[in-house]
Amino acid sequence: MSNVVELRDVVKTYDLGDNIKVDALRGINLTIKRGEFVSIMGPSGCGKTTLLNIIGGLDSPTDGQVIIDGIDITHMSEGELARIRREKIGFIFQTFNLVPLLTALENVQIPMIFAGRFSNSEIKERAIELLRLVGLEHRLHHRPTQMSGGEQQRVAIARALANEPSIILADEPTGNVDRETGWKIIRLIKGLNETLGQTCIMVTHDPTIAQISERIIYMLDGQIIPEPPKLTINPSSSMLADERRQMLLAELKWLEASIKGLEVRKNRLNQESYAQVKLGYEKQLERLKKVVQEEYEKRRSK
Amino acid sequence: MFRTARFAFTMARRSITRRKFRSALTILGIIIGISAVVSLMTLGIGMRSQVESTLNEMLGAGIIINSGTYGIDIPEHVQSYISQVPGVNKSIPIVMSMVYISNKPYTVVGIDPVQASEVYQVTLEDGRGLRQGDDDAVVLDSTIASNLGVKVNDTVTFSTQAGGVGKTFKVIGIIRPMAGFGQFVSIGCFITLDAAQDFFNTHDRVSSILIRLDDPNQGEQVEAILKQMFPDASILSQEEIMSNINQVMSTIDGVLLGLASISLMVGALGIMNTIMMSVHERRREIGMLKAVGGERWHVLIIFLSEALLISLIGGVFGCIFGLGGVYLIQWFVKTLGLNIIVPLLISPQILALGLIAALAVGSIAGFYPSWKAANVRPVEALRYE
Repeated sequence: MSNVVELRDVVKTYDLGDNIKVDALRGINLTIKRGEFVSIMGPSGCGKTTLLNIIGGLDSPTDGQVIIDGIDITHMSEGELARIRREKIGFIFQTFNLVPLLTALENVQIPMIFAGRFSNSEIKERAIELLRLVGLEHRLHHRPTQMSGGEQQRVAIARALANEPSIILADEPTGNVDRETGWKIIRLIKGLNETLGQTCIMVTHDPTIAQISERIIYMLDGQIIPEPPKLTINPSSSMLADERRQMLLAELKWLEASIKGLEVRKNRLNQESYAQVKLGYEKQLERLKKVVQEEYEKRRSK
Repeated sequence: MFRTARFAFTMARRSITRRKFRSALTILGIIIGISAVVSLMTLGIGMRSQVESTLNEMLGAGIIINSGTYGIDIPEHVQSYISQVPGVNKSIPIVMSMVYISNKPYTVVGIDPVQASEVYQVTLEDGRGLRQGDDDAVVLDSTIASNLGVKVNDTVTFSTQAGGVGKTFKVIGIIRPMAGFGQFVSIGCFITLDAAQDFFNTHDRVSSILIRLDDPNQGEQVEAILKQMFPDASILSQEEIMSNINQVMSTIDGVLLGLASISLMVGALGIMNTIMMSVHERRREIGMLKAVGGERWHVLIIFLSEALLISLIGGVFGCIFGLGGVYLIQWFVKTLGLNIIVPLLISPQILALGLIAALAVGSIAGFYPSWKAANVRPVEALRYE
């Protein structure tokens, strides 16, 4: 029972009609331990969000097996999945997704109202306590429109914690806030992970933010790839030429996809983080070119 | 369940107040429909009670034996046989026919002054009532009197046909008008039985015999005996007349209600449209509600309560405006100069029915869009851009 998430050969195919099928996930095997903080990284469209939705019981796999907190949810009905979501999962979204009609306090109460686990007074007390935990005790009766992005995301975090879930799923929680606020939010999530012991699975595009997690899972084209093609390859190592070429190719593909993804997301990022991430990719690309150049010269000199 | 409902109503309330203009238009649609239902039904019930009280005053009896419209051919002595029928308390012969006064037709009743009060409840406004031997006197109701421009001690001339030569009667009393359907059908002109028989030249014959029963519930038995005694006579019990009239009234009610429900249906379309738009705008919110563990019925209740709240507000105001509409119709009828008094009976049943109709319309019209909301797939709703 130390594994809180177990995915076995999970495949997800979207049928778009007219015989067009999209393989969003192509055989995912993944285990996550209780209390672990895991980041999922990969370019846009690689299946990160689909993976998160399947772990969170929002979507069912086409094939394979999904076990959450020891319960096989693969073939569960819609109603059973809703129960799993309310009892085991806390979602945090990039766009916060608070109900604009409700105050911070009321938004945090929603999952508890659905769950029916606490009494009315307990629900209210607990919501206040959770908002205090995320540092928003002075914003209880504010509507989302009266709060900053960072504050809204903290309300969403409090809401995710409402039913004491085993797993927190965060889909780019820092995507809609500036870098400094983003760091505050990440530190908050990390702190809650450490103090409350909840398992956290976070999708992010930001390599520096991902560094805070204990483990980073890299995805590409619906599959988990072992190690990010990082530029730690020593050109002079005793790798076989063929192997080295494959590595370089994978690395190039990763970078291309990442840059494409970044351009797609350009409008959703603020200028600062866009520039920073882009600079990182450019540096990587430059170094990759250098490695290829060196490789080429080495071969020619042979 | 209860908690979810309360939460849903909080959301519905805020959703309605946030989109004030749109909600107001939708509510207006329901108000129009419900006020049409309430006002037309109140009017229908008012008319029915009007007809009933008119009939009571006009017939004044449990059973009436007629010799056909305006015919006067029942031998007066028949009355003595009828009086002996068990269950009959009193039988009163009358002459009811039509006369022309200043070339206008009026219904005149000739009745024994002593017995008149047994069947007709009249209130004197001026002068005195008929007495035995008042053979040249007439009692008019105030409407007829003012139409003719006569007062107590003035005279009026009766003739059997327009422009004919007639007999002069002295107005001795003016009474308050009895309920009726306008001056042609109501009874507002009384002379003594002897005077009537003399005027119409039908000695020893009467047009109708009014029968009062010992017990109003014995109507059917007495009627059966009378039918055996006089197989050829037209015998009407008050119940029969009532049920005939009721049938006509129900048809009128049905037509009015049909008209009202058309406007209610338009209101229902308004609700459906509003909730549809709300569902469309709040797709992400629905996705989130499901992600945090909401099931179909949670989402269904949230949107359905918005429809119900809109229809409840529309229903309450619809009832108020519906009653206002009845006053408006009364005023309209009065300005047209029609002598129809439509009584306004505020019946709690109609108001309750108005509210129930509103809520029924709201839940039916709101169900389809709410069901669509309940079936939104969260993954698709949450997918951004």
